[in-house]
Amino acid sequence: MENYIAVMLPIILPILLGLFVLINPVYKHNRRFLIGTIIASGVLIVAVTVSALDLENAEYTLFYLTRALPIDFKIDVLGRFFTVIVTTCWIAETVFSFRYLPENETERRFHGFNLIVLGILYALGFSGNLMTFYMFYELMTILSMPLVIHTMDHEAVMAGLKYLFFSFAGAYCALFGFYFVQHDLNIAFTEGGSASVALLGDKAPFMLAVAFIMILGFGVKAGLFPMHGWLPTAHPVAPAPASAFLSGIIVKMGVLGTIRTVYYIFGADFLRGTWVQYTWMGLALFTVFMGSMLAYREKILKKRLAYSTVSQLSYILFGLAAMDANAAEGALLHVLAHAFIKSTLFLCAGAMIHATGKIRVEDFKGIGKKMPITLWCFTIASLGLIGIPPTAGFISKWYLCVGALRSPLGSLSYLGPVVLLVSAALTAGYLLPITIHGFLPGRDAVVDTEPVHEHKTMVGPMIALMVLMLFAGLFPGYIMQFIDAAVSGFGL
Amino acid sequence: MSDFCGFGLTFSFDGFRILYVGIATFMWVMMLLFSREYMGHEENRVRYYVFTLMTYAATIGVFLSADLFTTFLFFEVMSFTSYVWVAQEETGEALRAAGTYLAIAVLGGLVMLMGIFLLYTSLGTLQIDQLRAAVAACRERTLMYVAGGCLAFGFGAKAGAFPLHIWLPKAHPVAPAPASALLSGILTKAGVYGILITCSQMFWDDAFWGTAILLIGVITMFWGAFLALFSINIKRTLACSSLSQIGFILVGAGMICLLGEESALAVRGTLLHMVNHSLIKLVLFMAAGAVYMNAHKLTMNEVRGFGRNKPLFHIIFLSGALSIAGIPLFGGYVSKTLLHESIVEYRHLLSEGAVQRAVFAPETITLIEWIFLVSGGLTVAYMTKLYICIFIEKNADAAVQERYDGLKREYMKPASSFALCMSALAILVLGVVPSATMDRIADFGQGFMEAFHEVEAVSYFSVGNLKGALISLSIGAIVYLVIVRRWMMKVDDSGKTEYVDRYDARYDLEDRIYRPVLLTILPFLGGVIARIGDCLVDKLVVFLRKTIYKDSPIPRELTQGTYFTHLIGSFLDTLSYEKERIFAAINESEERPIRGTHFEDRIAASYELADEFRALLVRSMSFGLMLFCIGFIITMVYLLCI
Repeated sequence: MENYIAVMLPIILPILLGLFVLINPVYKHNRRFLIGTIIASGVLIVAVTVSALDLENAEYTLFYLTRALPIDFKIDVLGRFFTVIVTTCWIAETVFSFRYLPENETERRFHGFNLIVLGILYALGFSGNLMTFYMFYELMTILSMPLVIHTMDHEAVMAGLKYLFFSFAGAYCALFGFYFVQHDLNIAFTEGGSASVALLGDKAPFMLAVAFIMILGFGVKAGLFPMHGWLPTAHPVAPAPASAFLSGIIVKMGVLGTIRTVYYIFGADFLRGTWVQYTWMGLALFTVFMGSMLAYREKILKKRLAYSTVSQLSYILFGLAAMDANAAEGALLHVLAHAFIKSTLFLCAGAMIHATGKIRVEDFKGIGKKMPITLWCFTIASLGLIGIPPTAGFISKWYLCVGALRSPLGSLSYLGPVVLLVSAALTAGYLLPITIHGFLPGRDAVVDTEPVHEHKTMVGPMIALMVLMLFAGLFPGYIMQFIDAAVSGFGL
Repeated sequence: MSDFCGFGLTFSFDGFRILYVGIATFMWVMMLLFSREYMGHEENRVRYYVFTLMTYAATIGVFLSADLFTTFLFFEVMSFTSYVWVAQEETGEALRAAGTYLAIAVLGGLVMLMGIFLLYTSLGTLQIDQLRAAVAACRERTLMYVAGGCLAFGFGAKAGAFPLHIWLPKAHPVAPAPASALLSGILTKAGVYGILITCSQMFWDDAFWGTAILLIGVITMFWGAFLALFSINIKRTLACSSLSQIGFILVGAGMICLLGEESALAVRGTLLHMVNHSLIKLVLFMAAGAVYMNAHKLTMNEVRGFGRNKPLFHIIFLSGALSIAGIPLFGGYVSKTLLHESIVEYRHLLSEGAVQRAVFAPETITLIEWIFLVSGGLTVAYMTKLYICIFIEKNADAAVQERYDGLKREYMKPASSFALCMSALAILVLGVVPSATMDRIADFGQGFMEAFHEVEAVSYFSVGNLKGALISLSIGAIVYLVIVRRWMMKVDDSGKTEYVDRYDARYDLEDRIYRPVLLTILPFLGGVIARIGDCLVDKLVVFLRKTIYKDSPIPRELTQGTYFTHLIGSFLDTLSYEKERIFAAINESEERPIRGTHFEDRIAASYELADEFRALLVRSMSFGLMLFCIGFIITMVYLLCI
């Protein structure tokens, strides 16, 4: 019973609180009350979550869909790792949204769904089998939709529909795989997976195809080519805190799904050296290049960042596809680094857009004189994304490349690092000019340098995330221990 | 520091490293002293000083690093913090040069990182002192060369080696003078430090690698001197001169690699030339800064005659100029002589057949020796050009000359002149008593490049060694008298001369090749590929929406006619519109708006007319009668036929 409460509370509490906020008419007009409630809920949820994370091997089966399909929760290291990242980014993004969102009744809707999504993300982190994961994965798609279409204008609604279309397409791919997995394999997440040629016999080649389809399906959320199209459409239209959360966290659930499928259902030994691995890796590499290239040529700031997310997520997928312990560590570290970095970047972009009302990159000339703290955060986060030492992005790139070079992948193991570095050069090409023109608009440029008051609740979250990212780069020891423990469950 | 950045930083304190940290510290102190006055009236001083100190820390980190991971880490930090130096002035030119600098730094850094990845995964170590054994034991030579090439690319980009030198002649002139002194004097040396690691540690005694570095060095050495001769901007001359001197150092590095066991001379020459060049460029760039502080100009025609009647300034400048030109009794002579000796030594070894796996014939080495001497000659020529311009000739504008002459004491504050004097003094001391100073420095520092065995004391002023210097000097004199005075100066009608830039700006590697390729062609190609990939699914969705998953059209009330008349009418409308549009396009008549004929209305109208007629007709008596008749006839025919 004790376990029951501890495991379920982090999931149920945010959902209930979110529903409460959505239903209760008091919050419609009383803004201070709303924000007070959100802060109180946040504190409560964090406390509950931290206490849940402390449990060793907590497990609880909520109910059975059918006899063979339990809805089952289990806290393992990987789940903890994702949960910590989710919580951190959620706090930052929520604090930021207090000032960013226009003060009207839509605020209530945003915060309500924001809370519910948090609960669902916890559920995803804690899911103990594929059924549970799939269920909450679909819920996440639907319930994060209001965050995307928050502004409710035509563009946002269309983008929201595209988001739904892609996400469902991906989820159905996963569901398709689920039927076969459920028939032949163990749907509970087991370390090292349960598939093997000996077990499957004749079905092995077919199961490879199933694995590939599932990877593609979860890859949709993770922006894997060819189904990455929703990202650059949906991220820019959402309000900045939501795009930060989408880009930093929600897409990572696609990564989590991929990890669970590959390492906890099928197993690396089953997939290693097969066409699935090579094709997956090829797609990831192409996505890395494509995302960076499109970001480089993109002129709208938030869209540029969204394309950059496409590219960076495939760094992670690339590391996972290498099926090497080092590369997997790099991938997980990059999950953390990218979550913090991209959240920072989107929050900075949001603050800049909020202050100037402009959206195009070239309109931000001289912005460094207007909002120096924001642009400094942006700059350091950019350096992290490029992978300049000593930021977390550098360390993760190091592990990724070294892991890829060490794994026996033939020419792909050399091509991988090269593509990653080319992409890093492009990343420099699309992020640094913003900093450069922002701080150094040139003597002749006519720019508005009137300083803007950078409000604490907007700057604070950026600085916090940026410092965390730097800290993770400077002293990755503790985090790497954590990641090592998580990767040891991959069965590599 | 074991856990920093995941892999820990390791530092080492041997002679060479301590020597270079000492030089760096000396240079930074002098530069900061000088900056007080130079930057006195500039904006953004805080930014300048903050980034200067950060660059200092990073540079020290590079020189002290004991493994390549640490080197890379500080190297990147150094690249980024020094960016601010170049961009400090915020003029369009400065920003462009700074952009180039940053681009080269980022690309170099990434390529270098690739090399480090390759080394780390194939050797398992990045400790610099373990590299030699590890590389020698490694069987995959090609992989090692690729890794080494990547490292050399990254370090060479910072050092200014051909063909990655393009940032250097642009960045140095636009940076504030004290910053240029350090960019040229010490930041390039951080790149050289890396190249020395590849030459003296990774590929020690490797003919192929040594040849490659030697060739790069020779090209850089000559090309830099060549560009410097053409320049008419004093800081650009100095920047190009830096290029050329880096070339000399790279020749030394190549020689270290080629000579292997016998490399003591080359090691000492390289080391001393690095030290000399650092100090010389400190003096010369600060001197150029002093000129700029007062004249606010940098082109030779405008600063002409600035140095007249300023004896202290005269001595300071001369100490640097003579030393870099390799005049006996000055430091540059000693190091150039050593480098020259090492070339000669290699040729001897080659002709004796003592070298295994030689790439070059002795004749080629003779050619390289001559290029070396000619480059030395060009050095003499462009320094003479600079010297005569600033100190001997009078300004074309008499009023300006008067103003320059009037600046007796107030052209520099005491702190600045102290910085300049100290730097100049260092050069003089090194040059006048080489055996007491230079030999000691060389003894102290050569351990890094593992030249431990004793060399017999070189008699620097022997006839043979003086001969090389004399050849260079005479080439220089000839070049100056013939080319500079005759071709690079224009005499106008009133007998006044002025310096002309005879270098055709069209042959600019950056503008002609790098920028178009990297900023236009490659992104375009990549963009096309990426765009195709990007719209694959979107296009598929659109295609499906247009074909099998087509929306049923929203039913629309037709205002006139029927669906059939609407279809034909709108089709004819489109046709006539297109026809008129094409005619209008052919006749280029813009006055008449394209209307088209409204077939849709017309057909609908005639349909309605017909409909009305039909209603009348159908209801009429005669129509009924007619139908009856037709029916009757058909019945009759049927009956008859049966």
